[in-house]
Amino acid sequence: MRDTTRQPARPRWSRSRFPHARAGWAAIITVVGALGIPVGAGAVTLTGSGSSAAQPYMLALFRTYSQVHKSVRFKYVPDGGNAGVKDVQAGRVQFAINTRPPLASDSGTTYSKLFLDGLCIAVHNGNNVSNVSLTALKDIFRGIDNSWSQVAGSNLSTTIDPIGRNATAGSYTFFQQAVLGGATQASNVLQVTSDGLVQTGIENDPRSIGYVGLAHSKTGVKRLTVGGIPCDAAHIRSDTYPLYRYIWGVVPTKGTSLQVVRFLRWVAYSAAAGQIINEAGAVAAFNASPSKKHRGKRR
Amino acid sequence: MDLSDDQRAELWLGALVCGVVVLLLAMLGFILREAWPSFAHNGLSWFGSGGSADRQLQSIFDSGTANGPQQYEIHAWPMIWSTVLTTTGAVAISFVCSLFVAAFLVKFAPDPIKRVLEPVVRLLASVPSVIYGLVGVLVIVPFIGQHLITESERASVTPVIQLSGYSLLAAVLILTVMTAPVMIAIFAEGLRSVPRGWLEGSLALGVNEWRTFWKIAVRTARPALIAGTVLACARALGESVMLFMVSGSVGFAPNPADGLIVLFEPSRGLAPTILQNTDGLSSPPMAHTLYAIAALLLFSALTLSLVGWAVKRPMKRYQHAGGVA
Repeated sequence: MRDTTRQPARPRWSRSRFPHARAGWAAIITVVGALGIPVGAGAVTLTGSGSSAAQPYMLALFRTYSQVHKSVRFKYVPDGGNAGVKDVQAGRVQFAINTRPPLASDSGTTYSKLFLDGLCIAVHNGNNVSNVSLTALKDIFRGIDNSWSQVAGSNLSTTIDPIGRNATAGSYTFFQQAVLGGATQASNVLQVTSDGLVQTGIENDPRSIGYVGLAHSKTGVKRLTVGGIPCDAAHIRSDTYPLYRYIWGVVPTKGTSLQVVRFLRWVAYSAAAGQIINEAGAVAAFNASPSKKHRGKRR
Repeated sequence: MDLSDDQRAELWLGALVCGVVVLLLAMLGFILREAWPSFAHNGLSWFGSGGSADRQLQSIFDSGTANGPQQYEIHAWPMIWSTVLTTTGAVAISFVCSLFVAAFLVKFAPDPIKRVLEPVVRLLASVPSVIYGLVGVLVIVPFIGQHLITESERASVTPVIQLSGYSLLAAVLILTVMTAPVMIAIFAEGLRSVPRGWLEGSLALGVNEWRTFWKIAVRTARPALIAGTVLACARALGESVMLFMVSGSVGFAPNPADGLIVLFEPSRGLAPTILQNTDGLSSPPMAHTLYAIAALLLFSALTLSLVGWAVKRPMKRYQHAGGVA
């Protein structure tokens, strides 16, 4: 006798079991195809990492370059100049941006100068001090001077709260070489991971002093002169500001991407890039001026 | 052979669970393998103190090049001690506060207040930790730095550390607020699960309501209290973003012998150390060191779970009564 209670087995892929399968697959294929079109059209993504101090300038340069060369996109991780160099050495990224000159430990990489920047010394707006010498700066960040009463020109008599960068930052290595004479920062220096955090720390702490790139010292903090020389574009361009520095492009010595080389040469020499660099707050070093067709004088 | 829907579902779910277990074991094995070079170079001194942890991390990072010897020396005691202090402090304060809030919610709160308080607690539990960190950096840290720390306290430690408001106190306060909602929810659930008959029986015998609640209900809900505490400890152990923003980011071990100043001393726990040095992962010895810290955190979380299970075992008789397991 036939068992009428049991349902007849349905085929696994019958339309009654999956009535909307065809519509679903069509949608998936359409979406994947649409996403794949830019890849298929020859878009290139250049990956880089490095200085957070130079990030404001680099983001502006990336934007403009991508507008001119529509197939080029950028991905940049601001993990610090020293970390960026190690990323290039490890082959994780195609280029890095660093704020200090090459060291012996940077084997396998090639450095090229892009433009100029300054490492500015900043304090809270409520601090009357306006100038600091390199010696006094060294004593502060080495923990020798720890009261504002020891710093000429300050209206404060409180302890000094120095804020600096951590080891992955090219700014820290530059500061270590240019100010500390190779010594390490004192243990009472608050180490943060980006220039933005240095700026925020100074804004919130009336006793603080820190070092930041030019771009992060324009608002909210008070820039000091160093040895009587202000940290501004004119004095950086003329090499008179003691803590001027080049922003360097770092690429692997072997297997450099041609697209990366073209981009870095555009940054260093083109008039358009020079204009962006100056507007963003850094100082163009080699770029042709907009009125001239030839390349700028190379230092 | 045709399988029924139930059997098919059982197979799929079983396969999914096995896949998750395999993934977890693979992750554990990977982390231990990557962590081994750091432990092998340092031995037990990895867990001890000696020198500046920040300078050791910097040396480790700088040595990560193709040429030259690679540095692995690290004494992680300052980070371990900071983690112990912040976790213990936050969970202890949070436990007391959460128990009272849960008791109020379950037993004493009028319905209108209950209807407002319960969603607020749930909302607090879902706030991302970076929001707490922002509030900490913009409100708590400046308040501590400008109003609670005296100039003499600052001057007494300034050659060694900076008392600027980024402190153990800020970390503990905010971590307490972060862990309390989790504990309140679990404690309240446990208290609600106590059989009404037990409470009514106690009241019928002439015991007052307050005493009945604390002696009967809270005691019965002990498995839930332990579960909530373990969960809160696990959250506190793994918290990195908020602690990185407010604790001071200095590899310093706060010293209780300093008296009240210890509350204002900066430090940095294990999880924030990983976050702060993530940029240095491209340096192989730094990567191994960070994996070693991660392995210690994993081991701590596992130990916490085992301790919680061991403490709850004698209380199994309450589980049949409806306490949360």
